[in-house]
Amino acid sequence: MDFTPSSSQQLLVAIARDFLRAQCPPELAQRLALDARGFDEGLWRRMAELGWPGLLVPGELGGSGGSLLDMILLVEEMGRAGLPGPFVGSAVVATSLLLGAGGAEQQKRLLPALAAGERIATLALVEETGSFDSRALTLHCEVPARLTGSKLFVKDAHVATDLIVAMRGGDLLLLPADRPGISRLSLDTLSGEKSFEVAFEGVEVDAADWLGPAGRGPAALEAALTAGALARTAEMVGAAQRVLDMAVEHARTRVQGGRPIGGYQAIQHACADLVRDVDTSRGLLHVAAWKASEGMPVGPDVATAKAYAGEACLTVARRSHQIFGAIGYCEEHPLHLLHKRMQAASLDFGDAGLHLETVAQAIGLR
Amino acid sequence: MEFAFTAEEQAFREDVRRFVAEHPGERFSLDGMDAGYGSGAHSRAFMGALGARGWIAMTWPRAFGGAERPMFFKLILLEELAAAGAPFGPLAGAWQTADAIIEYGTERLRREVLPAVAHGKATFWQGYSEPGAGSDLLSLTTEAKRDGESWIIRGHKIWSSHAGIATHGLVFTRTSRETRRSRGFSMFVVPNGAPGIDVRPIRSLTGEIYHYEVFLDDVRVPADLMLGPEGEGFQALLNGLDSDRFWGRYYKAPALERVLRQLVEYANTTMAGGAPLGRDPVVRRRLAGMAADIAALRTLFYRAACLLRDGATITYETAVAKVMADELGQKLAQLGMDLLGPWGPLREGSRHARLGGRISHDYLTSLGHTIAGGTAEVLRTTIAVRGLGLPADRRL
Repeated sequence: MDFTPSSSQQLLVAIARDFLRAQCPPELAQRLALDARGFDEGLWRRMAELGWPGLLVPGELGGSGGSLLDMILLVEEMGRAGLPGPFVGSAVVATSLLLGAGGAEQQKRLLPALAAGERIATLALVEETGSFDSRALTLHCEVPARLTGSKLFVKDAHVATDLIVAMRGGDLLLLPADRPGISRLSLDTLSGEKSFEVAFEGVEVDAADWLGPAGRGPAALEAALTAGALARTAEMVGAAQRVLDMAVEHARTRVQGGRPIGGYQAIQHACADLVRDVDTSRGLLHVAAWKASEGMPVGPDVATAKAYAGEACLTVARRSHQIFGAIGYCEEHPLHLLHKRMQAASLDFGDAGLHLETVAQAIGLR
Repeated sequence: MEFAFTAEEQAFREDVRRFVAEHPGERFSLDGMDAGYGSGAHSRAFMGALGARGWIAMTWPRAFGGAERPMFFKLILLEELAAAGAPFGPLAGAWQTADAIIEYGTERLRREVLPAVAHGKATFWQGYSEPGAGSDLLSLTTEAKRDGESWIIRGHKIWSSHAGIATHGLVFTRTSRETRRSRGFSMFVVPNGAPGIDVRPIRSLTGEIYHYEVFLDDVRVPADLMLGPEGEGFQALLNGLDSDRFWGRYYKAPALERVLRQLVEYANTTMAGGAPLGRDPVVRRRLAGMAADIAALRTLFYRAACLLRDGATITYETAVAKVMADELGQKLAQLGMDLLGPWGPLREGSRHARLGGRISHDYLTSLGHTIAGGTAEVLRTTIAVRGLGLPADRRL
């Protein structure tokens, strides 16, 4: 039993924290949230130079062959900085899909480019039901044929070069984002995350568009949904830690009634609860990510972490609003954006209801 | 990072599982009630069985009769005993006292008391609180005065768990007046039955006896039964609090899991409105949410365990685990009450009682847990001040 990250993980985290502090200050995150495109090419290129988009990609395909746990620790830092953009969708979720389901030629063509940040891929999953359960998928088409239908909540479709479309039964199509007949409509989100409805109108697909050989899709999709749920949990944990740090700093320095408000027990006890919420969320996240990296069965652990952290981290955000008082309600203050990101993350890749049902079955409820 | 037990630890877990299967709790006579912490009832007979296996002393140095097993063996032992509902009530307290004796006990304590602990014969009550000294321990008035080779203790202790059935008290006294309010305190190991000790039971809201008050009327204690440095007892007490909180609550997560398993089984097998109770979406969600809460609690204890094992500084990590454990215990007991409905308030032994009437007992005892060993409020202040560096209230 050991909670300490390895020395290389500590290095990765330290570099990420320094880099993001300098390159992604709260003002930039806020500006990108308000901007319609909201994508900073320069920042993306510099992250690629650090090798981050290739962290999960094996060395022979241009990546650094890191573990999912390494990736989760990195994404935690991104959550702390409120980093916007397509990183999780491309470098975690789509990369997992290509690694899990892609044929050798597809992997060779796409993974080095994804690892280098030259291409960006995203998953088109959710349909009208709003469910992240792969069993709820209905979109299908015979191949070769023309695909008609739509997907909702597709992240960063405006900057993606490649779309991976999840079909009924968990089969996956890999389509260039600019194939004729594919269009996207922007959704206006609370968090400033760029999310789209992607419509397919008579899009020509043939057998070469399947991601990988027949039958690999469902398992790869489950693994990618696991990675996505973990990455979203990591974003929440990183953001909640940052909110906690800010709240404690505010409590130490904000003077009212002749003393710092952190000297009042009402504030002290709130802060004590925030520590509990952040520490437990991180503990569950790391346990689940470690098990996933070790190849252990991890469904209930991921579900536990995602469901628990969603509630706990949002509680941290709401109570911190109380600690900050009026200043936290201002657009120029960093709290609200971190809070909105947590809200988006808690509902992405399965909400508490979906994940607690997984837990319910795991504890033996029939 | 590594969130698994070693092969050696797993093998020990299998040993303990075999032991609890071969020594079911109901075969052992009980001396004192189960206060619901998860450590079961007080049973000298069961402690004797643990002692006979060498497990009470297993982590001690060989020079003191131990086997120098790693600290994590204690975690595994507690987990398995709690999961089985075994009556190991005094174990954590005995371990804590033994560790203090090994660290700074006199020759006499090491010679007379340690072997008795190892065999499960010696158990301890804590004489800390007084009628006028609860959360503010420093306002205690029990005094010990030096008289030749002895100390004479006079005072009144209260809320001492199992004091009427334990063999020794750990009596915290003022031994001198100092300018610094926190100095001048010393701890004594006082044998029960020493002349001048009067131990009286306090009936609790469960209707049973768990706590006692102890009157010490000029109790003469040999000087070499002082535990730790004279006059520096408060610092020693504070230093030990982090690990006391840890060992006093470590078994709570597996114990809560045990209750949760019973509730899941109950929900699966109890029909409500034509379908099993466990099919009700609200019931499913509350039980699953509780499982997630318990898993979260475990991570706090495992992290604190690693810090204790590695000798790292603890500022808030055991306090936060204790508060969460005790508040979760209340939440689980309420969930149990809700699932049982009108059967919930039935007592153990009542006609129609379900799940052995244990849920109503757990509900009542859980009310004491957020107070005993540091109230949730005092501990939240500790977390904020010591853990987060928020300003201390100078009046405290």
